[in-house]
Amino acid sequence: MNALLQSVLDIVHQRSGPLTRELLLEPGEFGLGQVPSKSKPNSTTDMVCGYCATGCSLRVHLQDDVATNLTPATEYPVNLGMACPKGWEALTVLNSPERATTPLLRDEAGRLRPVPWEQAISTFVDRFGQIQAAHGAESVAFLSTGQMPTEEMAFLGALAKFGMGMLHGDGNTRQCMATAVVAYKQAFGFDAPPYTYADFEESDVIVLVGSNLCLTHPIMWERVMRNPHSPEIIVIDPRMTETAMNATQHLALTPKSDQSMFYGIARILIEQGWVNSEYIDQSTTGFDEFAKFVTQFTDERVATESGLSVEQIHRFARTIHEGERVSFWWTMGVNQSHQGVRTAQAIINLALMTGNIGRPGTGANSITGQCNAMGSRLFSNTTNLLGGHDFTNPDHREKIAKVLDIDVSRIPSENSLPYHKIMEGILRGKIKGLWVICTNPAHSWINQKQCRDILERLDFLVVQDMYHSTETAQMADLVLPAAGWGEKEGTFINSERRIGVIKKVRRAPGEALSDFNIFRLVANAWGCGDLFAEWSSPAAVFQILKRCSLGQPCDISGIDGYQQIDAAGGIQWPVTTGRDPVEQERRLFEDGRFYHADGRAKFLFDEPRSLPEQTNERYPFLLLTGRGSASQWHTQTRTKQSAVLRKLYPENLILELNRGDADSLGIRPNESVWIESQRGRIMAKAFPTNAVQRGQVFLPMHEEATNELTFAVFDPYSHQPAYKSCAVGVSRFT
Amino acid sequence: METASTNRPDVSHSPHREETLLPIVDLSSSIGPDFISQLLREQRQLTAVEQFSQVHGNGVPSQAKYYSKLLPATPPGDGQQYAFEVDLDRCSGCKACVTACHSLNGLDDHETWRDVGLLVGGTATKPIMQHVTTACHHCLEPGCMSACPVNAYEKDPVTGIVKHLDDQCFGCQYCTLACPYDVPKYHAGKGIVRKCDMCSDRLAVGEAPACVQACPHEAISIKVVDRQQVIDDAEADHFLPAAPDPQITLPTTRFKTSRVFPRNTLPADYHSVNPQHPHWPLIVMLVLTQLSVGAFIVGLLLESLLDGSSVESFRRLHATSALGFGLLALAASTMHLGRPQYAFRAVLGLGHSWLSREIVAFGIFAGTACLYAAFCWLSPTSSFQPSLGWSVAGTGLLGVFCSIMIYVFTGREFWSFGQTTTKFMLTGAVLGVAATWLSILLFETVADQPTHGLFTSHITFRLAQALIIAMAAKLIFEFSLFRHLFTRRMSPLKRSAQLEIGPLFGATTARFACGVLGGIVMPLFLLNEVTSDRSTAIPRMITVAMLFTACLVGELLERYQFFAACASPRMPGRLNA
Repeated sequence: MNALLQSVLDIVHQRSGPLTRELLLEPGEFGLGQVPSKSKPNSTTDMVCGYCATGCSLRVHLQDDVATNLTPATEYPVNLGMACPKGWEALTVLNSPERATTPLLRDEAGRLRPVPWEQAISTFVDRFGQIQAAHGAESVAFLSTGQMPTEEMAFLGALAKFGMGMLHGDGNTRQCMATAVVAYKQAFGFDAPPYTYADFEESDVIVLVGSNLCLTHPIMWERVMRNPHSPEIIVIDPRMTETAMNATQHLALTPKSDQSMFYGIARILIEQGWVNSEYIDQSTTGFDEFAKFVTQFTDERVATESGLSVEQIHRFARTIHEGERVSFWWTMGVNQSHQGVRTAQAIINLALMTGNIGRPGTGANSITGQCNAMGSRLFSNTTNLLGGHDFTNPDHREKIAKVLDIDVSRIPSENSLPYHKIMEGILRGKIKGLWVICTNPAHSWINQKQCRDILERLDFLVVQDMYHSTETAQMADLVLPAAGWGEKEGTFINSERRIGVIKKVRRAPGEALSDFNIFRLVANAWGCGDLFAEWSSPAAVFQILKRCSLGQPCDISGIDGYQQIDAAGGIQWPVTTGRDPVEQERRLFEDGRFYHADGRAKFLFDEPRSLPEQTNERYPFLLLTGRGSASQWHTQTRTKQSAVLRKLYPENLILELNRGDADSLGIRPNESVWIESQRGRIMAKAFPTNAVQRGQVFLPMHEEATNELTFAVFDPYSHQPAYKSCAVGVSRFT
Repeated sequence: METASTNRPDVSHSPHREETLLPIVDLSSSIGPDFISQLLREQRQLTAVEQFSQVHGNGVPSQAKYYSKLLPATPPGDGQQYAFEVDLDRCSGCKACVTACHSLNGLDDHETWRDVGLLVGGTATKPIMQHVTTACHHCLEPGCMSACPVNAYEKDPVTGIVKHLDDQCFGCQYCTLACPYDVPKYHAGKGIVRKCDMCSDRLAVGEAPACVQACPHEAISIKVVDRQQVIDDAEADHFLPAAPDPQITLPTTRFKTSRVFPRNTLPADYHSVNPQHPHWPLIVMLVLTQLSVGAFIVGLLLESLLDGSSVESFRRLHATSALGFGLLALAASTMHLGRPQYAFRAVLGLGHSWLSREIVAFGIFAGTACLYAAFCWLSPTSSFQPSLGWSVAGTGLLGVFCSIMIYVFTGREFWSFGQTTTKFMLTGAVLGVAATWLSILLFETVADQPTHGLFTSHITFRLAQALIIAMAAKLIFEFSLFRHLFTRRMSPLKRSAQLEIGPLFGATTARFACGVLGGIVMPLFLLNEVTSDRSTAIPRMITVAMLFTACLVGELLERYQFFAACASPRMPGRLNA
């Protein structure tokens, strides 16, 4: 009777029921606290995130082996229980209807049509084979990525170069980290970021150069916020960013005047006797030449070039001097520059001359972009031979040939062309076939219209990707459907050299295969399957890579395998055989010894060069580009697949321009405007703000249109594109 | 399949290429269907659990070590409640809180209960940029709760958490209009609203809300606040720059900062003008109820001009037609409900919700009107007919008044008492006249009375006059909104005016065109005809039908603008949100 009464009352006022139950929480167990009932796990496993190089660990909630939800891993030494929006939404983007689920081949009518794997692979082999037969083995090249596990990159590089005879292959890491790689290689003798994230918490002075850490690496900003020493935070960025907002000193200098400014700072440090002579004597070479060189960077010159006041510059120098543990960090503002390598080295020089390296809270630290940029730098077999070796060194070729048990003649004795030279090779008709894996040049490459024109000239373009919808996949002759992060295994190496494991917690849609298995398929079809007999699984390849790394600065031979990495909470390289790798936070150069033959680091410098494309009457603004929000990743192939992430960034392309400039152009807030460079003209909505300086405008890089404007100029040492500055005109939309 | 190596060049990188040819492998066996299906099979095997077994304690959640200091040590006492506290100095704009709330509460794909806005301002040398994470403020006087006609909101007497009862909600969405902070979110798929409940289930067991757990910078915490303090703070308007007036609902969230915001601090989306959701069923419902009530009243007034014999048959026809429009309106209003089967619950909120009152008032109106129409047919001569007619008009006017108050309650300037009353009443007048005119013409056509021509031309004169005056007044009133375009400040009414001449320009033009045509040009044309006395019944019938349609479409468009061009108060939004 009571039940009947209750159900009558419920009809009138229902406090709970099916709709309430949909959002029911219950104890998740596994240390999770309350979780939604519908995704309550019956087991969990941790794996590193697949977006950026921070390398956070995510605790994946599994129901019968299938991932249903995730939360950041609590104890992982990188993220300490936190994640950015991209990490939280990492599983969502796997469910997209835009996933490639079967191979797609362009038919005679020019449309991409589903074909079986047999046909896709035989077409791949036939077409690339024909091109190589007609134009030489070098006429087919590949573009790799910083987003795949190391094992897959290594397989791709080895297959392409040792199996298929290709000579040229590069990665999209050229667009993000090449500058840091070359800067480190030249200065330290090896591409070796020296730091560990604990340094963020231990510094008393943190210098951030060309880095909007708050948005680009929110979890590294977490580490800054945890710093108990009330650090001085110096942000060097032309724009007033979120990070600059939190700085104690924001040096809003003229774009690309940073190199001159650092030389000026070096001069002040030397003049004031604020250098660590002992460290310079014991651990470096070239200081005297450098000291002589920087005398020309007087206060007046630096102030004129940078637009900063003499007081600002001196205060910065004094802050470095007064700091006991000064760490310097740089990102794309430095790397994506026409003189990025020397600018990065100008930063390295400051760390070296003040002895701010090899100690807790110090270092000249490049913050990497992609989740596996470091894996790509060491093991992709593109710029260097597997394990940070040199293609042009016969001993290195012998060593790797022996490790892989292949004929040494299979290893090219010359270096691959860098990315932009591969593009140029296509333009010149030397390269006719291109295999693009897990990257999206038709969106991301500088001077996009020209890039697309170049890609169209290819006889055969193969794109291997999770999504058939990427701008590059849409141009492909053949699309190979790839499994993504969460659907395959392997390891990533993060910014602080930490190796982390990714795991298979979702089934790939349709006939999508892991990139690893696609490479196995290609190897077999190409007829070089025997060569890769040992390359049967990512775990097996990890063992091969351990052998490749033996004796190198990036030696990982002391790591057993995935289980050990997983249990240890990630392991930073190096781990030599027999070393106990239990310490979770390690930094390099603690003994003051570097990787050059003489054990010393080098002071490297050059006369700064002016911007290749100067503003002029027609194009009076300097276009800066960069990350737009923490919820967007690169060309957005993944992040746009999450409805929640989409809600967190602007719907339209937004042009940030100075309020004064907006007023003088008669541009009102939210008005549509044209932005034009010599390369193209695009539309955006205006956002007048004092956060950008007069004469400068800012566009986020995630929107497809942005690269229609950018100017293809490259650092002469790293060949990295200078995305951050070109001349544009802005006008009202008419 | 062709053997791939037949036309392959030598791929050895050795200068002595001929020595190292590729091994020739039988392609058909190596990549045959077997190998591919083996790989596809492997791809489907999930082995993470086997390979990486994890040991976890089942006791205290592991994240507790980070968030325990962000929770209050003791539960709220008398005169206290829980509140969010946001340390703006620590909010960097990463928006992890939004996604964590989404994931840890199991929300649907598009659903988010927390948002992060951006404040900008400052000078050229010292610009500022402040991200602001915000969710439900668990107000002392929640607008959502007062507005809800079905009592689907509860404010916990101890914690002060404003909780939404999902199973009680019938999806009227009134709370989404009543909350100044745009907190309750309508879920069209489920036909209900859902909102933040401060993860009350988590707090109950000592766990932190999802957003508190997930903020990498510990910017969000839960505090115990004194209710009196909230009231005092609201009095001094210390809530957040550019946020809606805290006096409306007394929000409890505390935004703290060591920074001094410059006086020109504004939301990043301050200048973006986006049309709001138009709520079509409500548009139809409002316009047709007002038409119906107006038609009843105009009909009653007109009866004095009719002779006895015509009155009854006209009344019969007109009452039925007015009732028809009224019922159509009520049918349309149920289309607005996400779960119309629970419409009866609307009576629960009679004590506090104008929506409940509106529904009840129009319910009574419909009942009386039915009765009245029935009597018109069954007992046309009964003496209480006129008084019954006036009670229909009275209840109708009461309903329209409740309609007005629904919008006035939200505190939006575009929906102020003056704005709303003028529009709703004049819609009643315009459409009441037009509908009555149509009834007269219909009556004229069906009733075969020799005298009618004369008397309708007399009435036509009156009706045309009334219509022109009402419509002109209404159009002038609506047009007067555009004077706000000349104000310097981006006031809510300027925003509405900008919307009308911007994104809604097409609808605005059509609205005025219909109004002028149906309410001024065509009545003038008919007036001219009447005075020159050279018309015939059939074309006039068509003209009046067109006039009625034009007026109706015009009013529907006006009501579309009423919703779409309303600048809603909200928390600071994102760039181009």
